[in-house]
Amino acid sequence: MQFLKTRSGRIWMWALTLVLGGLLVWGTQHDAALYHDPIMRVTNVQTGKRTTMTDDFQNKDTQTTQTLTGHILNGPHRGRKLTISNSYSQSRAMDQRYRRGSQLFVVIHSHSRQQLTATAKDLKRDTTLVFMIWLVVGLLLLILQFSGFMAFLSVAANGVLFYVAILINGSTQGAQVLWIFGSLAVVFAALTLWLVIGANRQMLITFATTIGGTTLALVMGLLVFHFTHERGVTYESMQYVTQLPRPLFLAETLLGSLGAVMDESTDIISSLFALKRERPELTAGQVFKSGRQIGSTIMGPLINVLFFIFVADTFPMAMLFLKNGNSWGYTFTMNMSLGVVQSLISGIGIVLAVPLASYLASRFMGKQVIK
Amino acid sequence: MSAITVLGLILLILMILVGGKAGAQSFLALLLNFGLLFLAIVLVAFHFSPLIVTLVVGMLVLALTIFMSSGDDLSSMVAFIASAVVLVALVCLIVPVEQWGLVQGFGPEDSEDLEGLSVLVGINFVQVTTATAILSTLGAIAEAAMAIAAGLSEILQQHPQVPVSDLYREGILVGKQIIGTTFNTLFFGFFGGFLALFIWFTGVHYSFGEIFNDKIFVSEILMILFAMVSVILTVPITTWVMTRAVSRQRRHPAKSTDDR
Repeated sequence: MQFLKTRSGRIWMWALTLVLGGLLVWGTQHDAALYHDPIMRVTNVQTGKRTTMTDDFQNKDTQTTQTLTGHILNGPHRGRKLTISNSYSQSRAMDQRYRRGSQLFVVIHSHSRQQLTATAKDLKRDTTLVFMIWLVVGLLLLILQFSGFMAFLSVAANGVLFYVAILINGSTQGAQVLWIFGSLAVVFAALTLWLVIGANRQMLITFATTIGGTTLALVMGLLVFHFTHERGVTYESMQYVTQLPRPLFLAETLLGSLGAVMDESTDIISSLFALKRERPELTAGQVFKSGRQIGSTIMGPLINVLFFIFVADTFPMAMLFLKNGNSWGYTFTMNMSLGVVQSLISGIGIVLAVPLASYLASRFMGKQVIK
Repeated sequence: MSAITVLGLILLILMILVGGKAGAQSFLALLLNFGLLFLAIVLVAFHFSPLIVTLVVGMLVLALTIFMSSGDDLSSMVAFIASAVVLVALVCLIVPVEQWGLVQGFGPEDSEDLEGLSVLVGINFVQVTTATAILSTLGAIAEAAMAIAAGLSEILQQHPQVPVSDLYREGILVGKQIIGTTFNTLFFGFFGGFLALFIWFTGVHYSFGEIFNDKIFVSEILMILFAMVSVILTVPITTWVMTRAVSRQRRHPAKSTDDR
């Protein structure tokens, strides 16, 4: 770790990431052998005829056929030539227009010796994914160096925890989803804050604020749900639901607000600790007041971050609803209302964390701060 | 009253209690941002180009978010210019990557939600998905730019004569402090949103190979990665814009916007 803080250590680390990442990206171009499903590389594309069509809502679209020629890269049919036909629409919401050089998964239908027939299933996307991860890691190390590395480490560690929690949730058939992710949230917060701040009093106060703010937000949300009988909370519009939607929704909201509340309380409390170090004569009341001031400038933009994450995601589906003759109100209810509820509950947590952080910091900062 | 109205009112009251006038302003900015986002969807449904709509709406959202929250003139101006530059840079990255990964539209996992809907609506979903990815990072860009501009402006207040070269180093230092926590906001924000999808993948026993090539999964992960790139880029770009603004101010002291 110390090595990474020196100049040559950083350069070495960066060069290593660059080369390793480049090799990985190159490797995903040639990893077809690792896959069970047959993969084809397209070497030639012939575009066929295009037909125009109109649906019940007067939406015009076109359907174009293309003939793809290529060869199979893996499995028992490796190296064999293959010609498949594919069709795509102008909107391409559910279909694909393949290009020369694309690698795609195919489903082989007949195994006769002379002729293979197959249909295109989907594009192979691992190269794109690995390239983007490489870009993020490279930029992090280049611009933010050691801190960038730590930030990446904490995200990676949380990712692993998240995966484990999903496995546990799967093994309990989703009955305990809120408890699993609730306790996970505590572990997440402790681990992240330990990585970002280190194990000290400041970390403890930030940790308490994070858990307190998130819990308060969730309790507030549940109270409102209780008194309004969940009017306008359309669980039936949740996507990809395989288990009871209500606890799942609450778990999603809990995770969403946790990160933002943690971000905010870290900012407020570290500023307050710095302030106290510079001016030890400040009273608890004055510290509280500064905390509230810092907090009120950052809470708005933070709620905004979550709002765009939760709601922008519904863009394609909402647009499709509008194009299918639905009213604005119905489109909102069926697509965006849950995201808005999530943003509002998280927002309440973010706002409540401001006085909480200021209070806890002003009370428990203690004299240890003064060096 | 519906749950949304009550939650909205509670948020408004709390924001005013904690932040006073600034809190009320931030709430208003939030409402206006929602209006802009909905407007973008409606405009695209009316066949306006998704990319142009996104760029215009994006600029408006950044301006609203930054100028309606309480910062001093210099840091707000710097944050806005920097976030606009980041937005343009991000568009240059997102457009080719989305073309390459072809993660547009919907996947087989969506088929239940799509029942009864016609998907042949004549609007290019590659562009719609690109627009979605850009819009979802707007909040993060604005927040990061404001945090760094505010941090630098505070340093300038305490040491008005700090050399421009030092200012650059300070900017990266401020960036180092915020990046770890900002990443966590993004990570939890996005993963909170995708929890149901990830549970689906394990429940239906997708193999790793299937997951890493799945249209919806790759699309969601790309959104997180784009947001991370945008936050990383915000650090040097905001610092650079700030150093330019400061060195210009020092050359023409009469034109400076305030008493610093």
